[in-house]
Amino acid sequence: MSRKKPEAEVAAAEVVQAPPPEQVYADELALLARWDDGPRPPSWKLTPRAVVTFIVGSGGERLRAGGAARVISEKFVGERGLVERCVVTLAGERGLLLVGEPGTAKTMLSELLGAAISGDSSLVVQGTAGTSEEHLRYGWNYSLLIAKGPHTEALVPSPILAAMRRGAIARVEEITRCLPEVQDALVSILSDRRLAVPELGALEPARRGFNVIATANLRDKGVSEMSAALKRRFNFETVPPIADLARETELVRRRAAQIVAEAGAPLAVDEAVLEALVTVFRDLRLGRTAEGWPVERPSSVMSTAEAVAVASSLGLAATYFPGGRDVAHLLPEYLLGVVMKDEPRDRGKLLAYWDASVKRRAEGDEPPWQVLHELRRVLE
Amino acid sequence: MAGSDGTAGGAGGAAEAAREIAAAGDALAGSRTPWLFGVRHHSPVCAAALPPLLERLAPAAVAVELPEDLERWIPWLGHPAAEAPLAVAGVSARGEELGFYPFADFSPELVAIRWALARGVPVHAIDLPMARSTGRRRGRGGRALGIAHRIERQLGGGDSWERLVEAPAIGGEPERVRRAALLYGWALRLDAARGDGVDDEDRAREAYMRGRLARLGAYPARDAAGAGPIAAIVGAFHAPALLAEPALWSPPARVGGPPVELVSSLIPYAFELLDERSGYPAGIRDPAWQQRLWETLARGGDLGGLTAACLVEITREIRSRGLPASVPDAHAAAALAGSLASLRRLAAPGRRELVEAAQSALAHGELLGRGRIVARAMEQVLVGRRRGELAPGTPRSGLGPHVAALFDELRLPHAEMEEPVEVRLDPLRSPLDRRRHVALCRMRACGISYGMQFQAAAAGDVEALTTVWRLWFTPAVEAMIERAGLRGVTLRQAAAGSLRAEAARLAAEDRLGALALLGLTEAGAEAGAGDLVREWLAELTGPRLAESTLIGLIALIALIDRIAAGHIVGLPADPAAALPGEIDVFEPPPIDRALVLGAAVASILGLAGSESVDDARSLAELVRVLERPEHAGLGEGRLWWSIDQLAQAGTPLISGAAAVVQVLIGARPAEALSAAIGAWFDGATSLPGRRVLARRLHGAIAVAGPLLEAAPVFLGGLCERVERVADADFLPRAPALREGFEALSTASRRRLLRVLGDRLGEGDARGLGLDVSLAVAPAVLLAAAEADRAGRAAIERIPRPIAAPLPAAAIPAAAPAAAAPAAAAAPATTHAISVRDRWRLILGHEREAMQPQARVAARALDELYGHGHGEGSRASLGPGGAGGPGGPGGPGAGYPTVREWRKDVEALFGKELYEEVAAKAAGQGRGAALLALPPDALTPSVELLEQVLSLRGGLGEAQLGRLRKIVRRIVDELVRELAIRVRPALHGALGARATRRPTGALHLPRTIAANLARVRVERGAVRLLPERLIWRARSRRHLDWHVVLVVDVSASMEASVIHSAMMAAILSAVPWLDVRFVAFSTEIIDLSEHAGDPLALLLEISVGGGTHIAQALRYVRDLVQVPRRTIAIVVSDFEEGHSIDSLVGEVRSLVESGVTCLGLAALDERAAPRYAVPIAEQVAAAGMPVAALTPVDLARWIGERIR
Repeated sequence: MSRKKPEAEVAAAEVVQAPPPEQVYADELALLARWDDGPRPPSWKLTPRAVVTFIVGSGGERLRAGGAARVISEKFVGERGLVERCVVTLAGERGLLLVGEPGTAKTMLSELLGAAISGDSSLVVQGTAGTSEEHLRYGWNYSLLIAKGPHTEALVPSPILAAMRRGAIARVEEITRCLPEVQDALVSILSDRRLAVPELGALEPARRGFNVIATANLRDKGVSEMSAALKRRFNFETVPPIADLARETELVRRRAAQIVAEAGAPLAVDEAVLEALVTVFRDLRLGRTAEGWPVERPSSVMSTAEAVAVASSLGLAATYFPGGRDVAHLLPEYLLGVVMKDEPRDRGKLLAYWDASVKRRAEGDEPPWQVLHELRRVLE
Repeated sequence: MAGSDGTAGGAGGAAEAAREIAAAGDALAGSRTPWLFGVRHHSPVCAAALPPLLERLAPAAVAVELPEDLERWIPWLGHPAAEAPLAVAGVSARGEELGFYPFADFSPELVAIRWALARGVPVHAIDLPMARSTGRRRGRGGRALGIAHRIERQLGGGDSWERLVEAPAIGGEPERVRRAALLYGWALRLDAARGDGVDDEDRAREAYMRGRLARLGAYPARDAAGAGPIAAIVGAFHAPALLAEPALWSPPARVGGPPVELVSSLIPYAFELLDERSGYPAGIRDPAWQQRLWETLARGGDLGGLTAACLVEITREIRSRGLPASVPDAHAAAALAGSLASLRRLAAPGRRELVEAAQSALAHGELLGRGRIVARAMEQVLVGRRRGELAPGTPRSGLGPHVAALFDELRLPHAEMEEPVEVRLDPLRSPLDRRRHVALCRMRACGISYGMQFQAAAAGDVEALTTVWRLWFTPAVEAMIERAGLRGVTLRQAAAGSLRAEAARLAAEDRLGALALLGLTEAGAEAGAGDLVREWLAELTGPRLAESTLIGLIALIALIDRIAAGHIVGLPADPAAALPGEIDVFEPPPIDRALVLGAAVASILGLAGSESVDDARSLAELVRVLERPEHAGLGEGRLWWSIDQLAQAGTPLISGAAAVVQVLIGARPAEALSAAIGAWFDGATSLPGRRVLARRLHGAIAVAGPLLEAAPVFLGGLCERVERVADADFLPRAPALREGFEALSTASRRRLLRVLGDRLGEGDARGLGLDVSLAVAPAVLLAAAEADRAGRAAIERIPRPIAAPLPAAAIPAAAPAAAAPAAAAAPATTHAISVRDRWRLILGHEREAMQPQARVAARALDELYGHGHGEGSRASLGPGGAGGPGGPGGPGAGYPTVREWRKDVEALFGKELYEEVAAKAAGQGRGAALLALPPDALTPSVELLEQVLSLRGGLGEAQLGRLRKIVRRIVDELVRELAIRVRPALHGALGARATRRPTGALHLPRTIAANLARVRVERGAVRLLPERLIWRARSRRHLDWHVVLVVDVSASMEASVIHSAMMAAILSAVPWLDVRFVAFSTEIIDLSEHAGDPLALLLEISVGGGTHIAQALRYVRDLVQVPRRTIAIVVSDFEEGHSIDSLVGEVRSLVESGVTCLGLAALDERAAPRYAVPIAEQVAAAGMPVAALTPVDLARWIGERIR
């Protein structure tokens, strides 16, 4: 297989990376809009029931509406009640805050909700330490501002303001990464449902149907606490980690392959090694192995995202330093790096894991575990 | 399968299924022979639907699913003066539990009984008599087709009855409720019938019920005209089997077993017991909610309003637990519940919607902390505390008569007694005594103060075989039995119930820690409550594992082992010892010991800062328990690594203990330890060094204990040095060595002395002071000694600037004893004290046998240590033993005054040593020794301060004045020293900011820097013509930082308390810091007004009591004014004696309000913490990092925060 494809061919194969869900599932959305003709909250494209069905799927049943019929695919794996609560919250007067450990598909769920309710998942603010109030409220087009003075045209609305004007769902990703002062800009928006623009002496009211979905992970370090005032304006839903090993392995493989592909190479990490890697992460995250043996949880976040990082590092190592040892040999060192990030004492916990769980598995004649067990000295 | 099951295998599509369901519904609901109402035994919806239906039907008689032999209770159950909840219980005469039927206002059967009694309609109990039931009621398990399971999965989990019958039926027509319930039961039955078939026991009961109904005339011949239909109120599952043409039913092989003698009782019941999660049988979730739902339905009230009312109460409950939750929160939750209900097409929100809404809107996504507090508030509101009451005149039954009969049988007194009697029981050998012992333990578990157990003294680790009880039956006992009767009808039931209630009470008060639960489990084991023990052990070895401390874990292992060995009287392992019904054989649950031990290993590092010998011993104990082949997989690496860490970084005591443990687990050869101990000896050249030697040795020997007596292998290095060094080197170390060996009991030290004697090559250890290390001929030695002396004389002649003070010279009457052979006659200046005497000195024995100069030293030390402790300390010390009864005042011993003693000690061991000795003496309750010290000559140290402070208690005013002087001197000195090191770390905080605004204080460096361009050099002189002046900003009050030191003064935190007080003083001196000092144990003392004065602080604090961190944090929360500029530093060992949940909740809310929090497991120069690792980890996860810091590190940390 040739490594390089002609540019044009690539462009033809996929026009856009990661198209938004409203585009991918346009057919399903169109069908669902006709399928349930119950009452809709103001500005909603679908009824609440149809939104729930869109996200959790129709369970293999073919839904019929207006001459068309199709099965609605399952997009989010999880408890139906969780999705129901999310949808109901969005129809109400509080914002929705999805919390959970990194890599639990919070973002995907919020995108799906945005797509199903407003037909638009793009009204999003990414929370970082550098996010300022302007990102949440409004900014100015300075050249226009200087030319014409404060004028509605010179005002650049934030995604949130845009959503308020349209009565749509706005999303704020990683809200806890914003500084607390910045987060608090949301308090008045969520409680008053309008935005004051003192420069224009104007009030921008929110159209009915406007609401906010925020995602946060409360366990990560380096995040700001949310103020109690802001918390009170949200209903909290905890999204649990991926329950299934195979699914998580698949996710890690796919993402890592994506990253390695940017370096122009296929992911050359053995499936068994990948599975071992994900297993280690899951064990340390859950505090219990699949076999039921107890594990001491280290204080660092053993997220799926971290697993992706390690997997792609392994992949890159295999790409740039080929012909060397089996990449599995590098695993313990990377792992140590992840585990010891916060607390040097966690080395002891990792050792304990090696001595108990990895050893037992190695005795069970499983090749990657044997290799890992032999590498115990790396951890000391 | 019988023909009536013939619907099997029909796969005729959805339409056919729908037809089948409709047909079944018609058959069931349409039947008049009898008229059926299928219920679940607690169901508000059914209970509310029943009366109007009965009213319309006007039945001739009502039949309920209740064992026939309980029929006599029906009038009392439905009595207008009786108040639900009530329960009918049946036990066999031997005490086996046969059945338990709780009734509440929302139980359809009770509703039917009340309805019928009020109208004079006869009520019949038609179920199989309890006395003939063939087994305990089991869940409808088995491998079925999975309809029920599929229903639940389709619905997303949860209670399918509630989801399918209860919730949709709210607000529905009574007749539709009946039909839905009947169909639900039919579906379950279909599932069972087409799967494994309906359980034999169920079919037997149904056969019996059919028989009864037939006799009541419920199945009239087609042409007979009955008076009116019979209404049968039965479980929905049984309804199809009771049709005139039974569906999904086949006759059982036999009906009922041989009858047993039944004792039944009607007792008042309580909601907290009715709750399904209470562990009592036949309960339902959230009875208070069900009660209110029933009331609302029966009244035809507003259900949305009910949900809102509950949510408001829950928020109020959360507020009362100190967390913010307001009316808008309740409003948002109620709106969520309402919308969920309409999304799910329900008429009104049910329990599920209520619970989901509360979690979403109130818990803020936290599983711990706030989440658990919300859960507890919900429990409070939804479970409730309603209690039932019997109607006056109800026949007396239950616990009282049972206890009287049982005690008659056991020949225990149960009538009022004038005075107590003592009985001695031998429960492991006598069956009667076993029963008596268990009965007494059960009385105790019920909280009935009837018998008090004395702990019979047991030697060593052996368990006592006999128990001694003091019994006293007072009128109070009678009353207490009545009260305990609420919890059960037999002593066994009541004991288990009372323990459960105690657990629930502690949980409600936030005090059910792992240790408390372990205590309850032990009580449960003694009382033979097998189920309870099984359940609690599962909790202790499961979720509670994360909050157990090392000592708790070791106790847990001990309990598990005792149970497994059958050593617990109430839980016999041997069937021969059991008495079914009363004392059952206990099959120990499969417990993963490795799991518990793993948790224990994980918390080892928390011992690093311990100064307690008990902790050192528990370390050794843990290693001992670990020494089983099945624990090989537990991970030596982790254990070895942790112990190695302790050996390296622990306090001297712990590191000494860890060093020995390393030998025990084979991580280190004994020779290496022997050499290491020798090195400890060598290193003890200064006062701190000797202190370290004493503690290390103490720890090592405490752990080695008995092993040491048998084979003192790792004392080799020490022995060699004791033999070799000169008196001048030996004597100063002697007190430290003596303290080290004090870890052994008196008798044990004597044995060691004997063993060492053997090692020295002498058969009789009690022989006089022969220095038998001499393997060389005396003549040779004499020659060598002569040479030595000549050499020494030559050295003496060389002028030296400093004459080495030789303490030995100060020994009065240094003349060697005449009896001493050649070795003792050797120069008194170097080896005046023989090796044997040295060991006698170290081990504190055989003072009489020593030579005079050694005896003086021994006397000085004996004054301090007396006879030691433990085995042999009280008895006469035997032949050759030092001193007699009376301790230091024994023959030839005793100092009339402290001054004399001090003179001796100083002469023998050196001047600075007296301080140490005196501090030690003070620690043992002889404060005078310490007060004799001149304050100005003291060497200040934290250890000394600790000792001095411990004296405060029992001193007179004059002595207190002296003490104060000493404390002041030490504290001043220590603070000064510490401040010199700490201040630079805070430097940034002290440096004034620069400003352009004139304040009066010129900032010279900045001004020069800013005006460098305007420097003129005129005739060699440099002149600065400043254009812009820069000033020092005045510190602005509102920019102050608040530092709150929250200091745990429960027993174990001495050194950290002292350092905290000193840090408070140093920080108070920083102008921009406002320091507050809060001391807490289970109480809180705000000492902020003394924050700047460590002397006052230290004198005010009294150490002791438990630990309640959550309460202290709650106090701090009230104290905080500007959260963003407040630093709360909690100095504690984190051995929280109360609930971890509320601790975590407090930490979270403090962190959320913006306060910067830090937990310090230790604050001292070594920064070795002694703390509960698992609890600290949870606290850290809640946002308060936990660390062990030195004062300088702490200052640096604060400096970083406030700059």
